[in-house]
Amino acid sequence: MSRMHIRRVDLTVPVVVAGVVTTLASFWTGIDDVPHLGRGDLVYLSVFLVAIALGETARLTILTGRETAPMSTAAALGLSLSAVRGPGDAPMGAAVIVSTICLGMVAGTLFLRVVNGSVRWADTAARIVGAAVAPVIYRHATFDGRTLLSWQDSWDDQRWFVGVVMLLVGSVAMLVDLTLEAAVRAGRDHAPLVPAVLDEIRSAAGLATALVASGALIALAELAIGVAALPLFLFPLVLTYFAVQRYATIRMTYRQTIGALSSLTELAGYTGTHHAQRVTDTSVAVGRDMGMGQRELTDLEYAALLHDLGQIALREPIPHGATVMAAPADQQRIAHDGAEIVRSTGVLDNVATILEAQTTPYRQVREFGQDLPMASRIIKVANAYDDLIGPEGTRDDRAMERIHLGLGYEYDPRVVDSLSRVLERRRRAAPSAPG
Amino acid sequence: MSTDNPGRPTRARRSDGATVLYVAFAVAVAVALAAAGVLTSGQPRSWLAVAVLSGLGIASWMLRGANVGERVTLSFVSIILLAAAVIGGPVGAAVVGGLATVVQVDPEKLIVRIFNIALFSSMGSLGGLVYLWVGGLDEASTMTSAGRILLGVGLPLIVTDIAQCMLNALLLAGVLRVATGSPIRTQVYRLLSTTGLAYIGYGVIGFLFVVLWIPARVGWFSAVLVLAPLFVARWAFVQYGDEFRAHESTLRALVTAVETKEPHNAGHSERVAQLSAWLVESLGLGHKEIQDVRTAGMLHDVGKLGVPTRLLRARRELTDDDLVTIADHALAGVQMVQDIDFLSGSVDGIAHHHERFDGLGYPAGLAGEQIPFSARVVAVADVFDGLTTSRAYRPALTVSEALDVMNQRAGTQFDPLVVEALGRALARHEWTPTVRSDEELVAAGVAIDHDEPETSDLLASRPDLRRRVMGAPERTMESLPVVPAGEGLT
Repeated sequence: MSRMHIRRVDLTVPVVVAGVVTTLASFWTGIDDVPHLGRGDLVYLSVFLVAIALGETARLTILTGRETAPMSTAAALGLSLSAVRGPGDAPMGAAVIVSTICLGMVAGTLFLRVVNGSVRWADTAARIVGAAVAPVIYRHATFDGRTLLSWQDSWDDQRWFVGVVMLLVGSVAMLVDLTLEAAVRAGRDHAPLVPAVLDEIRSAAGLATALVASGALIALAELAIGVAALPLFLFPLVLTYFAVQRYATIRMTYRQTIGALSSLTELAGYTGTHHAQRVTDTSVAVGRDMGMGQRELTDLEYAALLHDLGQIALREPIPHGATVMAAPADQQRIAHDGAEIVRSTGVLDNVATILEAQTTPYRQVREFGQDLPMASRIIKVANAYDDLIGPEGTRDDRAMERIHLGLGYEYDPRVVDSLSRVLERRRRAAPSAPG
Repeated sequence: MSTDNPGRPTRARRSDGATVLYVAFAVAVAVALAAAGVLTSGQPRSWLAVAVLSGLGIASWMLRGANVGERVTLSFVSIILLAAAVIGGPVGAAVVGGLATVVQVDPEKLIVRIFNIALFSSMGSLGGLVYLWVGGLDEASTMTSAGRILLGVGLPLIVTDIAQCMLNALLLAGVLRVATGSPIRTQVYRLLSTTGLAYIGYGVIGFLFVVLWIPARVGWFSAVLVLAPLFVARWAFVQYGDEFRAHESTLRALVTAVETKEPHNAGHSERVAQLSAWLVESLGLGHKEIQDVRTAGMLHDVGKLGVPTRLLRARRELTDDDLVTIADHALAGVQMVQDIDFLSGSVDGIAHHHERFDGLGYPAGLAGEQIPFSARVVAVADVFDGLTTSRAYRPALTVSEALDVMNQRAGTQFDPLVVEALGRALARHEWTPTVRSDEELVAAGVAIDHDEPETSDLLASRPDLRRRVMGAPERTMESLPVVPAGEGLT
């Protein structure tokens, strides 16, 4: 249990503090350089500043529900890796660069705050810290007595090698960024930390590759065509942005259609109001708590929404739609009919498999070694809980008591433990709720 | 469809002789252009560059198959050919174009492969020649400033891009002309209008490629950097396409779910959707309206899921209460789909498909133009399909009989304009009355169907019933199962 607690720290506050410290520290060290900047330098920096701020307003919600701003991150990376010269023809220092990035990101986020009303500052803080990593490594840290930026001149005849180094530095920065953002998200969702970070990296790998490559593109092209590289070489990334955005939109539409399918039983009078939605909320919370990945969570969510779909084939509704009260054979028929309807789409086979097994008791796993999807076990527990607490949600203790009676026989003990944690958190979040 | 997908000749109808001749002509063009390239510029500057570009070309050509969703194509081959025209010169680009299409994943006819090799090698040669002809720069030493690069590389590349795009369209249109007999001008127009915009994008990316390769001296590694974001974009488009199709199938499941309750009525939704679409077409409206009305027709009875099964297969005359319960389905359907954003254009059609033009319909009692357009269309399609379907109490009406019934009711139950459109649509499209089997008729019960004109007239003559239906929103909420608090565990 104590290990679980260590894995579940909420890192939101530390990440926000790190973001603020990064911003202030870069301003503090960079302020000395500002009076020495020439007009050309200022124009150069402001072009990047504007691009970063604009990029920050073009947000993209990816699979894990995280918001990213691809153009902003890529422009920041390009600036970090660029060979721009500062006062006295020395390479521009990391402090000025980080200050520019921070200013741009904060300005963009503020703009969104004014227009949209709400933004998550913790995510922006995580991105600022991630973006600050690249210039510090590339322009400040020394390897063999020289910074990577000055090594770049000695590798002038092997620009491909410069490109590789840039990709490496960009990847490190991206990893820091993703880890911090996953940590913030895990804290928000009460999910274990390590699986959340791994899932984030897996889901974001494609987009992150495009971002890092674009950063290196901008920095390398800048050697040939100067600041014009920024708008030109963001173009492939803009294409990527639109493609990913379309994907995100159709996913949302899909989720709505599943929601409509889910409300069918409710509107037809077979199940109680919002039963499917409550079971889904509980199931997803339990799934997160158990460290499920995003793809599994999506399947779990769809299956939970549709878990009572089989009832529409019944001639007469069962009392209150509470399947936990129905005879096991009926339960299985409902599960089977639902799975058949879902399978008829031809595209939701995973969900159909989960639905099919949602009534199978846990002892099948223990005694016969049957392979029962974790999602099915979760839905079984969440459904029983929602049916047992009664219509007013007042029978919480008795529901848990009844579920505990079936522990190990009907229900998977790990799922029930996780449900207890989820319910405990709910009680703490709303102390006045009935229960 | 993408321009680099001339797999069509395999499906040629009046093929062989003419096609072989035409392909021979294409090969001759390719050879002539290659010879012109050799005469103009000799060998490419770097065979390594040509080898790398050819490798990329082969990889892209093998990847091209996947469908990435409607109206989206990403042809990496075109980008690479454009870059090769500058980096490899006319001869290098011809080699890249020819090699890229040599390897095929799916076994295609030899003649198709030869045509593709000729097509892409010609595009390469022509690109290289045009680029040199308009004075494009090709050496790092001459590309000294951003301005020079934009003018000396960017502008010539635009011309090259246009030339390659035109050559592609012309040669492809030619082969389609020979194989299928469709006129060259329409083919060229179609190819240019579907891929013209994409070629602008290829132009920009080709330019980036060249800038990175030559003046920024990154060389072959630029391929990795430029193509990485594009591969991710392509991946996302493919995902989008998959998800789009998955969504379509799931939506169909929504309709199937309704029909599980009324197996005897299977196909009604589909037919109403089709007829509604024809009506909108006859009324001369656009793509978006057709789609919205079609979806409304498809889902117009989705609310029947809330109607008890015993009423849908009634073995006796329906009582007043039953009629009111069944009439609920219009608003219940709205409740089901209102949370789906992309169906917002169809909600009106679902809600008001039982309104009457004279204002005596339900659920809102709207009259004339007050009734949303889509609802007036779906109403006509719905009743017409009902009339031409056999019932337990009468055989199916023929098309002309049903049309007579509809015409009599134009102005009272239906919008006269839509009924007029119905006449035109039926003159243009085939409509077969639906005759149901005896078992289906038995399953359907004996009660008069809610879609029959008689039911509509009955409700029109009974203001008391209509008032009860109009109070439906609250009633629908209350009719959800009321769960006694004391029940549960004992």
